[in-house]
Amino acid sequence: MPAGGRMTRVPLVERVLEANDEIAADNRAELERRGIFSVDLIGAPGSGKTALLEATLRALQGRRRPAVLVGDLATRRDGDRLARWCDQVVQISTGQGCHLEANQVRDALGQIDLDAVDLLFIENVGNLICPVGFDLGQATKVGLFSLTEGDDKAAKHPYLVEAADLLLLNKIDLLPYLSFDRSSFEADVRLLNPRVPIMDVSATTGEGLDAWIAWLDR
Amino acid sequence: MLGVHEFSIAEALAAQVQRHAPVTGRVREVEICVGALRGLETDALRMCWDAVTHDTPIAGSILQVDQRPWSIACRVCGRTWTSVVPFVTCECGNPSPVPTAGDELNLVALTIDEEET
Repeated sequence: MPAGGRMTRVPLVERVLEANDEIAADNRAELERRGIFSVDLIGAPGSGKTALLEATLRALQGRRRPAVLVGDLATRRDGDRLARWCDQVVQISTGQGCHLEANQVRDALGQIDLDAVDLLFIENVGNLICPVGFDLGQATKVGLFSLTEGDDKAAKHPYLVEAADLLLLNKIDLLPYLSFDRSSFEADVRLLNPRVPIMDVSATTGEGLDAWIAWLDR
Repeated sequence: MLGVHEFSIAEALAAQVQRHAPVTGRVREVEICVGALRGLETDALRMCWDAVTHDTPIAGSILQVDQRPWSIACRVCGRTWTSVVPFVTCECGNPSPVPTAGDELNLVALTIDEEET
């Protein structure tokens, strides 16, 4: 305790992100009330988040009624790519923000006709750290890793591995060409999270996407 | 500072502390506790803290960070201990003991100097 003056220590127990968490709880209640299943997709820049969603939206055409919120520091390019496959896409430009926060999701949901939606994808800003700690009100968190990032990415990002409801390992078609040790990757994941499913996928070739689509449909 | 993930945490914390700050007196110390899963660096948090509280009523306050470490359990020899990093080798030679940690991020206490305004 600092010296001098008349010091009083006031104990508190309060979550630092309480303000965000309260808005996230409202988002979650609204999505659940409407029966909308939601996915917060978290992955590094270049891991293939947008490519995965393009392939996913294509596979879901005519069967599900998806909407996508896509967060980026700048540009509308991801939103434009996804709009080819989905009527309801909202691009959230975060400016300097390295992750989405619950109030941005709340505002973006206001731009969507939620009566016409049964599945919501939230493509978070490309980042494996900051987005994990900010609840958006999603039903599930999906972590996306890819072979080109190296097999130690899971070990270096324990919070995402621990918090994820599903891990996707993208670019699996490149396995013969890279030094990626698939079993080492899985061993690191299992130490941190014994239960999380891991699905090998390729957004480019379509390999493994059936299992991912079935997971969304369950 | 852009890209330092401690920055947004410091911003949220500064807003929270200012909501609790008394009308009279000055906030001198802010105590938080952080679970290892959060991956927050104490030095980076403090640097961000000084930046986001600059020119605010809580400027000059000291951020005390209670870092909660990883709990490590070896399934081979049964030893348990704490570590600041999750992936470690056990003394018994087991290269992969199991790491667990919390993701708490709590404001724990404020110290107020009541004679200063």
